[in-house]
Amino acid sequence: MVRINSKIMVSMMAFVALMQPTLVFAELNIFACEPEYAALAQELAPNANIYSATTAQQDPHMVQARPSLIAKMRRADLVVCAGAELEVGWLPMLQMKSANAKVRSTDKGLFYAADHIETLDKLENVDRSMGDVHAAGNPHIHFSPTKLLGVANALSEKLITVNPESAAAYRQAFANFEQRWLAAIPEWEALAADLKGKRVIAYHSSFRYLFDWLGMEQVADLEPKPGLPPSSGHLAKLLSRSNQGDIYAVVVASYQDERGARWLAERADLPVLVLPMSVGGNEQSSDLFGLYQSVIDLLKAAR
Amino acid sequence: MKRFTLKPLAILIPLFGFSAYADDSNTLSNPAISLVLDGYYQTAERPLAEREEGLGLGHTELALSAVIDDNFYGKLTTVLEVHEGETELGLEEAFIQTLSMPAGFSVRAGRFLSDVGYLNNQHIHTDAFVERPAVYRAFLGSHYFDDGLRLNYVAPTDLYWTMGVEAFSGESLRAEDEHGEREYEEVGVYSLHTKFGGDIGTEASWQVGLAWLRNENGRLTAHEEEEGDDHDEHEEDAHEEHDHSHSAAYTGENTYIADFVYKWAPDGNYKYQHLTVSGEFFRVNDFMAHHEEEHHEEPGMEEDHDHEGHVNDYHQGWYVSSVYQFSPAWSAGVRYGQVDTLMAHEEHFDEQELKETEFTLAWHPSHFSSVRLQYVHQDGLNFDGIEDDNIVTLQYVTTLGAHGAHQF
Repeated sequence: MVRINSKIMVSMMAFVALMQPTLVFAELNIFACEPEYAALAQELAPNANIYSATTAQQDPHMVQARPSLIAKMRRADLVVCAGAELEVGWLPMLQMKSANAKVRSTDKGLFYAADHIETLDKLENVDRSMGDVHAAGNPHIHFSPTKLLGVANALSEKLITVNPESAAAYRQAFANFEQRWLAAIPEWEALAADLKGKRVIAYHSSFRYLFDWLGMEQVADLEPKPGLPPSSGHLAKLLSRSNQGDIYAVVVASYQDERGARWLAERADLPVLVLPMSVGGNEQSSDLFGLYQSVIDLLKAAR
Repeated sequence: MKRFTLKPLAILIPLFGFSAYADDSNTLSNPAISLVLDGYYQTAERPLAEREEGLGLGHTELALSAVIDDNFYGKLTTVLEVHEGETELGLEEAFIQTLSMPAGFSVRAGRFLSDVGYLNNQHIHTDAFVERPAVYRAFLGSHYFDDGLRLNYVAPTDLYWTMGVEAFSGESLRAEDEHGEREYEEVGVYSLHTKFGGDIGTEASWQVGLAWLRNENGRLTAHEEEEGDDHDEHEEDAHEEHDHSHSAAYTGENTYIADFVYKWAPDGNYKYQHLTVSGEFFRVNDFMAHHEEEHHEEPGMEEDHDHEGHVNDYHQGWYVSSVYQFSPAWSAGVRYGQVDTLMAHEEHFDEQELKETEFTLAWHPSHFSSVRLQYVHQDGLNFDGIEDDNIVTLQYVTTLGAHGAHQF
């Protein structure tokens, strides 16, 4: 027979019961994995309490499942992430530790942006020798204006499901965003017209969607394989590639190490562009509109 | 410990039938399979540790986990270890955890790692050093996993605050039964723990924890006065067993643990550089059999105790560790730890002390592989098995399959 020391058990239970604080009513709490989705949520639910787990200076592949994030997810009504396995190294741990059933599955308060659009570069087969690649396609989708609008539409619907009382306000906020976004796209495209056909060397496939949209071409990657830092042998190869003379610039994102890019750029006499990876990546990128504007301005200013 | 011997291949082959899933396992809800391979060369043995001198295998671990349905998550971790030519199959984890309880509560049932301390619930293959600190090897059998039940609660506060209670069978933390006739409590171990944590700006994060581990079977067995010569043999037998199982070498009725961890990265970006500083303190009280304790606390103590100075009535230990990843592929660490214990010998207790200073350098070209070179200087008082004070270990640890999420 199992004998349990009841006195100890009762005192432990009492301790836990005492620690239950009173719940305070609050606005919808939104936990965003990346700042671009915090910014999108800000557009679509301006009254919500929005928290971004990462900044534009932090690589979203490599995030610690740290206590503050567990605490934030514990109180979240909605979690908005890129998906396509970008957060696979930390999000499952946060979900497990935060014990918040509301945001466990995409049937409820979990939203993956990549679920609602077609990602680029989906892979049939993945093995580890290819580096840190995602079978579900490139997850850095927020630099495609049309895909991001698709995500915005789906996120607005999700907000309505999670908090139907504010449905009218969410619909209005989406309509407002859609109108401004659709007006801005042709302006950006006109501004970026002379970037078409430009060839760049970039770090990772972080700006895959941006280059795809603007008709630019990433001819080489500073990483020898996705997720691996630039090696000297690989940089030497990139240098001989640069000597063909058709490279416009070397591009890195705000959270990436610039040293490899600087080494290459100095020897190949190329400009290095540090582009904000997300909202907050530089002063101009205070929202999604500012982010797009800033990235195009920086690209154009390279030469 | 429930443990049996099997030819390892017989186990691995059927489980590898699942490996077709492994490619898809990175989606958050499909079964994840991971295999950990760990091998080493070590110049000498360390007290209370599992690794032997020379070439050997560490924890070869095969884990399978999945969200079962809306309500449960399940995980199985099997560990293969080789000791003196025998391959032992250990079951380290086999648990389910609730996913849908309200108000921040969750329950875990089955066999799992206790949440006490900082390192204990972390998997050994994620450690920055070859062995757990001496305090873990002495008091928890390297890492304490057991059959039990946990109720956990996360408070809805801005500051991270969690609390948990656990009840375990406690078999691996039982004090030795020298006479083979002790009646143990079947539910022997209870724990109560709490953790707090938060961020300091965008660059640093911290967590502190407090735990109380109550072990109903932690006290030593009372001596019988008429005990003859065979007593020592029993003790040695029991002790040798400790080296081969995950049982704790030193137990007591009440163990108190305090732990902290601090992590820092430039801009909070962990990809390139980051620092982890952690430390833990253990106090194991009330380990003497009741009548011995009374005897021990008598004011007129035996003379040979007096001239050795004060003899504690508790075991104690601590460590502090600091690991810095200075590039994506390289990290270096230093750790100092010690344990001060008492070993029953005849009618009195011998003081023991083990101090370890460790330096480690690791090369991790990807998330899935690392090669580690470690130097340990050990300084032991009354500890068996110290042949060399300076030990060098070369170790590899690789993970095949699922890209597991790591704890803070």
